Amino acid sequence: MALQGPEELGEQVEEPEDLDDQDASSISPAEEITMPPGPGGDEEPEEALLLPWDRFATWLHCICVVGFDLELGQAVEVIYPHHSKLSEKEKTSICYLSFPDSNSGCLGDTQFCFRFRQGSNRKSSLACFLETTDRDAPPCLKREQGHYYGYVYFRQVRDKSLKRGYFQKSLVLISKLPYVTFFHSLLKIMAPEYFEKQEPCLEAACNDIDRWPSPHPGRILTLPIMGVVIKVRIPTSYDKPGTSQLVQSAQSDSQVSIVLPTIHEVDLFRCFCPVFFHIQMLWELVLLGEALVVMAPSPAESSDTVLALASCISPLRYCSDFRPYFTIHDSEFKEYTTRTQAPPSVILGVTNPFFAKTLQHWPHIIRIGDMKQAGEMAKQMKVKKLKNLKTLDSKPGVYTAYKPYLNKDEEIIKQLQKGVQQKRPSAAQNAILRRYFLELTQSFIIPLERYVASLMPLQKSISPWKSPPQLRPFIQQDFMKTLEKAGPQLTSRLKGDWIGLYRNFLKSPNFDGWFRNRRREMTQKLEALHLEALCEEDLQQRVQMHTEVETVDLVLKLKDKLTQAEKEQLPVRPGTVAKLRAHIEAVILALPDDLQGILHKPSTP
Amino acid sequence: MSVRVSAMSVLPPVRRDRVIAQLPQYFRKEAAFHTKEDFNNKVKTACQEQRTGTVGRFKISKVIVVGDLAVGKTCLINRFCKDAFDKNYKATIGVDFEMERFEVLGVPFSLQLWDTAGQERFKCIASTYYRGAQVVIIAFDVNDIASLGHVRQWLEDALKENDPTGVQLFLIGTKKDLSSPAQYSQIEQDALKLAQEIKAEYWAVSSLTGENVKEFFFRVASLAFETNVLAELEKSGSRQIGGVVRINSTSNNLHASSKKKQPNCCAFQDNQGHRQVKSKLQTENKEKDLKDFCGQSRRRDAGVSTS
Repeated sequence: MALQGPEELGEQVEEPEDLDDQDASSISPAEEITMPPGPGGDEEPEEALLLPWDRFATWLHCICVVGFDLELGQAVEVIYPHHSKLSEKEKTSICYLSFPDSNSGCLGDTQFCFRFRQGSNRKSSLACFLETTDRDAPPCLKREQGHYYGYVYFRQVRDKSLKRGYFQKSLVLISKLPYVTFFHSLLKIMAPEYFEKQEPCLEAACNDIDRWPSPHPGRILTLPIMGVVIKVRIPTSYDKPGTSQLVQSAQSDSQVSIVLPTIHEVDLFRCFCPVFFHIQMLWELVLLGEALVVMAPSPAESSDTVLALASCISPLRYCSDFRPYFTIHDSEFKEYTTRTQAPPSVILGVTNPFFAKTLQHWPHIIRIGDMKQAGEMAKQMKVKKLKNLKTLDSKPGVYTAYKPYLNKDEEIIKQLQKGVQQKRPSAAQNAILRRYFLELTQSFIIPLERYVASLMPLQKSISPWKSPPQLRPFIQQDFMKTLEKAGPQLTSRLKGDWIGLYRNFLKSPNFDGWFRNRRREMTQKLEALHLEALCEEDLQQRVQMHTEVETVDLVLKLKDKLTQAEKEQLPVRPGTVAKLRAHIEAVILALPDDLQGILHKPSTP
Repeated sequence: MSVRVSAMSVLPPVRRDRVIAQLPQYFRKEAAFHTKEDFNNKVKTACQEQRTGTVGRFKISKVIVVGDLAVGKTCLINRFCKDAFDKNYKATIGVDFEMERFEVLGVPFSLQLWDTAGQERFKCIASTYYRGAQVVIIAFDVNDIASLGHVRQWLEDALKENDPTGVQLFLIGTKKDLSSPAQYSQIEQDALKLAQEIKAEYWAVSSLTGENVKEFFFRVASLAFETNVLAELEKSGSRQIGGVVRINSTSNNLHASSKKKQPNCCAFQDNQGHRQVKSKLQTENKEKDLKDFCGQSRRRDAGVSTS
């Protein structure tokens, strides 16, 4: 299917240009046979063809150890697997982002995450395979295209035997997958072992990961690591939003097996606690892709809050850049902090007090103090004026001049406050808040979905002998008109200037990203319908009425269609592709021998 | 949060040749875990009545296989799990893993098989992998007396991470096909003696021919299962007594206790319903677990580990 044969698989290298210096053993076909099938047994045939390190690569790009050298500062000490490629620039980014950036204590173990721009355009030869595995994932869980995530486990403890008296080291997982909860759980298992037992531990852990099944949405995955089995299920885009298919079972024995109910969701309630009264405004700011900065006391708090913000508009994907932890050393520092342009559509999480000055001009600033236990809640309700943001000693809160479009929903605030009084578990508070955001986002997006669906041409306009019809264009005015009758008022009791909110949203990167995705899906659907219509035709009869030249032209066109259907995985009915292949074959056979020979050559087996 | 079992049931049914209805017998009477001919009666009754509790359809036992370099640990597992024998020697890096699913007395049961590396280089990380093991299989080569000599060291290492009383031990001689009957019976004497001393059940197998491999793993699965069910029955027995005692204490406990009474007066139609009530029954334990779990996840999200 996506993988065309062992010849192509043989070229498994991180960067195609490095084929020559690749260790011969890793491309030997013999390895393919000794590759054991991963646990589970219910594997797709293409998984059996994976080479050593391919499975690892579907989960992680690499693992780095970042240490602190008294002379050099932070340095990447180890990259595992050793053949992993990172540019110097990427290494520098990883170095700075893997350590707390200011003197923020962080004694003991700390976990946080960061995101950075991919330096060189390295396209994995696995790309095709990864696209297939990613196809069913919800938009916000798809593999990142131009960025990596870094998941950090940082340890800082007193060690008198060392020159400065401190042991400071980070174990960092570099991945394109946004599975924050999963990777933090994984690090919690791996990192303490690594700090104790050093490299053999990394080698063994990577070997474990290299036998994992690839992260296929919808399957229950059994992932052995360091003597424990983690069970997860990656959600699909077909799941009912807000439900979890895999729940921590009462029987699981944490020493032997861990069931993770979620791979990516952060505790929204805990993260938003310090700015609790403004959640609805924050939702609007995120939805509209406004420039936002989170100033937090530590990387753990900044990264959690940024991830919570970016995920509060789920199932919509937040399409602008976001940096859970951003430092002054970041390669985009200048680009993002320049005063010569309006602040970019990004969410930054920072800890260095220096930013309070650098980003003074930003329109929306969230300042959080030390995160308290979920029970305590911010007292003050007022949005603070930006001019009150003094550089260093400002109080926690949201600093903005923004006027929300929608009226405030007092009910959710009351409900959560009641929960706090009644000491409702944080997990339950989180679930309430998550559901609230989900319903709000869905109310907002349903009218758009409905309008966009109406742009689809009618079934009867699809003719096998014409190219597939085009989608009708998105016309803002038309869409706005539909809101009168079928607007968010049908599903949400919130009043306010919904029209204004839509108008602004249509200009945002989030709309752009959402619409592109929808358009692509619908165009593919049209292609698929067209293909199906074509397969239903009696091609041989038609061929008889045409000249040889036209028939050859038809064969070539059909072959193009076939390639497209396979490459883009068009959502056709099962059996359609086989039918098309049979049609092509039949048409070719009706041609003279010499032409048959020529037409048979490429692609068709 | 409701316990949804449906998602877990997507697993395919257990293979026909992994169904155990009778207790597989020991290999040598002198060194057997026990010499009873059939499963414990309590266990049989519990399985018939579906009272197996947590030995339900996703109960797992963790098995670790240890032993000297190149005694054939990986081959043993491959013979059983994949019915394959690869003559080429490929050292295990770190650890291999296989999950093997059985059905014992009609109840699904899985073995997590952790196949550890025999190499010195990985000794330091081995303890990580040993944690939580219920079964320890120590392998030696029947043609290599030195590998038998190292068994005690392997045992010591494996037990460091585990409660010695909670572990079932197996001593297994490999590569029997390479040994002549005379040579074999000589080493068997030593092996049996050692097995008795360390309280292990003794087996001898050949992964090349497959001799005794299946029998051995069936015996492992059966004994692990039996032990699990017995332990569970014991736990649930004592828990019910505890409930009765607590009726008098506080209203909260009264509530919990009244729930606990339910199984005595209801008949359970299916395993699933049973499990749900069962999990309610474990109020006490579960609440604690939940608290631990919530605490853990909170810490996890905060990104600060306390371990």
